[in-house]
Amino acid sequence: MQNKYPRINYRNGKRFFFRFSLLQRIQHVILFSCVITLGLTGFPQRYYNEEWAKPLFTFMGGIDVAPWIHRGAGSVLLALFFFHTGYWMFLFFRNRIKPLIEQRTLSPVTFFKAFLAMEMMPNGKDGRDIIQMFKWLLYLSPKPPQYDRISWKEKFDYFAPYWGIPILGPAGMALWFRDEFSQVLPGWLLNAFYIMHTDEALLAGLFLFFVHWYNVHYAPEKFPLGTVFLTGYLSEADMIHEHYAEYIEAMTESGLEHEIKPQGHH
Amino acid sequence: MGVLPNKRLHHATQRQAEAFTAALAIFLVIFMLGGLIWTPSVQAEDELNCVLCHKFRGLSRIDENGRFRLFYINENLFMKGPHKRIMCMDCHRDIKKIPHDPAEKVSCTVECHLTEPSGKQKFSHAPVKKVLEASVHSKYDKEGNLKDYPEDYPSCKNCHEQPLYRPLSFFKGESAGISRRGLSRCKTCHQTGDFAEDFYSHVTSRLQKTRESKEIVEVCAKCHGDPAFQKRHNLDNVIESYKETFHGKAVSFGSNETADCLDCHVVYGESVHSVESHKEPTASTHKNNIAATCRNEECHFKAGEALASYQVHTDYDNAEKYPMQYYMLKFFKGLMAAVLYFFVVVIFLELLRRLFPNFSFIKEKPADAESVLRNNSTEKGA
Repeated sequence: MQNKYPRINYRNGKRFFFRFSLLQRIQHVILFSCVITLGLTGFPQRYYNEEWAKPLFTFMGGIDVAPWIHRGAGSVLLALFFFHTGYWMFLFFRNRIKPLIEQRTLSPVTFFKAFLAMEMMPNGKDGRDIIQMFKWLLYLSPKPPQYDRISWKEKFDYFAPYWGIPILGPAGMALWFRDEFSQVLPGWLLNAFYIMHTDEALLAGLFLFFVHWYNVHYAPEKFPLGTVFLTGYLSEADMIHEHYAEYIEAMTESGLEHEIKPQGHH
Repeated sequence: MGVLPNKRLHHATQRQAEAFTAALAIFLVIFMLGGLIWTPSVQAEDELNCVLCHKFRGLSRIDENGRFRLFYINENLFMKGPHKRIMCMDCHRDIKKIPHDPAEKVSCTVECHLTEPSGKQKFSHAPVKKVLEASVHSKYDKEGNLKDYPEDYPSCKNCHEQPLYRPLSFFKGESAGISRRGLSRCKTCHQTGDFAEDFYSHVTSRLQKTRESKEIVEVCAKCHGDPAFQKRHNLDNVIESYKETFHGKAVSFGSNETADCLDCHVVYGESVHSVESHKEPTASTHKNNIAATCRNEECHFKAGEALASYQVHTDYDNAEKYPMQYYMLKFFKGLMAAVLYFFVVVIFLELLRRLFPNFSFIKEKPADAESVLRNNSTEKGA
């Protein structure tokens, strides 16, 4: 892994820091393609009465085609969810459990600790980072938060779809296979699933458009397009700005302590 | 077509009527010449040549109630409509002379000159009236007493808006098509006149849906979508709640395959005029029959009985009737507000922070690399 993706890469004399592997970037492309497709075929149905709904829905294939595109994209997304679950479980086992087995130290306690130590897991540092962030934002501290490899915002971005898909997906499946569904479960559950599906989708859509895209694309230093989702590597300036703790660690590990730049000049 | 009240006109309006007749006579004379030049393409059953006048688009007046009345007949529409073989005077029976006085309202239940082939009787729409009067849409209750607000209950033309009865709208242009190949089979025997064409289109137009689902919903919405009407009869806004369902959404996007009002509110296979209240044990929407209605052979035939408990007409603002929907919506709205407001505030503060990146009310020593590493290493796992 480390050889395939050096932690620091050089392009045109500039430093770039490793963020995401190719497989992760491919998963992300599938994720956002599905979500955008689902949004374009789903929101016109939610807002069937609005001016824009009909032309958009017609563009997406109309009543005979668009619902099938929606179901197709939803199925791919659900498959991705299961794949990703297998993927992190595999990494968890290979990187954290296997060493414990080899060291003969695997126990419920060490397993649980290893589980909590995964880089996507929210932890105490995230809490302290949030407090530091508010101090800094409110001009109560000159020091911006120094995020590690995965900041609390990115963890939120990650768990939004990871909680959203299990809510949206089965609800969508139940509405799709309503006849088969009603053989085993009462019809009024479909009323509940409809709300779950459409309102969670709106939350996800608004969050992605306003918050996630601000963090990765709209923010002044990124606009119009952050490229890390394509290249997998983040520029030094962005790294200092967003992942200062990880930056220092990567620089130190590579023997570049003397070249570490101070935070706060961006 | 002209539909005027059947009451004697007041003295003042009598003069108006005379003036109208005179004007009509002048009009007739002027356009008689025109009529000779522009010979109407279709004479149809128009024995008295009514369209000679009624073909002019401007033929109109303001009636004694101050309403604008248009008396124009679009021949093309008329010839495509179901009444094309009926003479004007078969329905407008009070008209005996030309030019005529203001005509009476036409009754749809009169017997016309056509003989209904299956029973050899004069044709009439009276049986439909009978079904309608047994339905929830009758003005009379079961004991034969007039219901409250009897004027709210529909008669034929409230729903059957023949294009001719709404002269300024456009006919959708599509009617049951005549397949030449299909017709050739009829014509082998039925060779005289337009007999085969007429009966072919008569039968084929009844074998398919003649109205789009969207139009059906609009017809029902004329009354059921009116807030004052809902209040008078203590009814929910069923049009709004229907439109929020997937049925309603599909229909609004032009689907004709999904359920409209009539598909659920009429017992499968019965006349569409026989809508009943959900309290009637025989109604398609009675709680014991809903499952059968949903599971009819054209719709959710694969579904279980349990599908019947799906609440079609949900009012999301009504906490008493639909508590689950109401509180679920509250939860999701709350969640959405919490998440979005939190992040919008963070983004806003972050943008503000860029104005004075190095300023702070509380001075602190900037962090050095070692302390960052020290902080960080405690969190790192295996």
